[in-house]
Amino acid sequence: MGHYYNIDDIIMEEEPILVSFQVGANGVGLLDPSSETNSVEKGAKVDLPFWLAHELFLRQAASVNVPSCYSQKTRKEIQADAACVDLRSRSPYFYELGCKVAPLVGDKTIGSFLRHAFASRYKEALSKAHGAALAKPPKYLTYLTKEESSLFEAARTSMEAFKKWQAGGSRLERASILGRKRKPGIGTHPSSP
Amino acid sequence: MAGQSDPDLSIFTAPEVEFLAEDELVEIVPNMRMEALHMICGDFGPFMPQIAVKVPLWLAVALKKRGKCAIRPPEWMSVERLTQVCEAERESPREFQPLPFHYIEISRLLFDHAHDDIPNLYMVRSLIEDIRNVRFHKVETGLETISGRTHAVKLKNLSAMEVNIVRPFVVRALQAFYKHDSPEMIQQPEASASKRSQVVDRVPRRDLRPR
Repeated sequence: MGHYYNIDDIIMEEEPILVSFQVGANGVGLLDPSSETNSVEKGAKVDLPFWLAHELFLRQAASVNVPSCYSQKTRKEIQADAACVDLRSRSPYFYELGCKVAPLVGDKTIGSFLRHAFASRYKEALSKAHGAALAKPPKYLTYLTKEESSLFEAARTSMEAFKKWQAGGSRLERASILGRKRKPGIGTHPSSP
Repeated sequence: MAGQSDPDLSIFTAPEVEFLAEDELVEIVPNMRMEALHMICGDFGPFMPQIAVKVPLWLAVALKKRGKCAIRPPEWMSVERLTQVCEAERESPREFQPLPFHYIEISRLLFDHAHDDIPNLYMVRSLIEDIRNVRFHKVETGLETISGRTHAVKLKNLSAMEVNIVRPFVVRALQAFYKHDSPEMIQQPEASASKRSQVVDRVPRRDLRPR
């Protein structure tokens, strides 16, 4: 379970992952689109959202497979050129999901793979973020996962705020309420005759 | 003390940092006579014509706007001094030169309000801009060395505004690295795992700019 109020954590748990049922289950046919009866057979492979897969795993009703975004193919691509890999299309919560899934599948290499991927992609974000205060590279941004793009945005907005401050402009802003004209006769008091 | 503008990240905006910088003392030469001012932070004055006196920057700017004084630029804002600093910054790629903590904000305020008091205004302005760019580039190249083993970053002689610019990025990056480097995620070999447990409170700290 994640932080109760963290919206990203909640959305992340919706990510589908592939599980195979260890037991047959009756009355839950809607989980398996290919099933003809109203039940899931033993050994059936079904895509379930992470929160459900996690609960089934704890009850030993299903075993979790390694999601495709941590496959050997992705690892090869990350090794070749980490910055150019489109991780968002694989999973917008690539790192968060990886952290959650790793203990379930018992794959010890996911942790170090995630760290390697983040460390090598972080450098690219660093060099682009502060320089991109005014002109942002739209293509690159679409490759970033949720976590990376919030990192990128944090750097970009702080640099932009500094540039704005340095360029000057009106130093004191008028509160919006001061600009309004007072309207006579509005409210509870009717205008006197 | 945290900034008021963003409760989540507790960062300052640039104008908030400027506000803090206005407490720095500068020397002014008044052209009027006035009693001493008794403030909570101390007494300033009395003000006599042509007698230099130290006041906070906000007071200096307020008096300057009314034409009651001339501001003496701080000694580090001279062309010779800044040229030295700029060359030293370029020559030493691994450390920052000591400059006033609020040098960016002070220079900006003086350029805006007291430009007639600064000799060689354009030269000084472009030198400060150069120094800032060189230093920021150093910060960026230094941050590239952050890796999973980094738990803290030491930045010596970095100024308020420079820290403020990189703060949101660095905080998030360090948090992410910390999360990915947690022991549950990375399985340590047995030998080093037992060694690490002894020094668990002495996590390695990376000097961004080791002396």
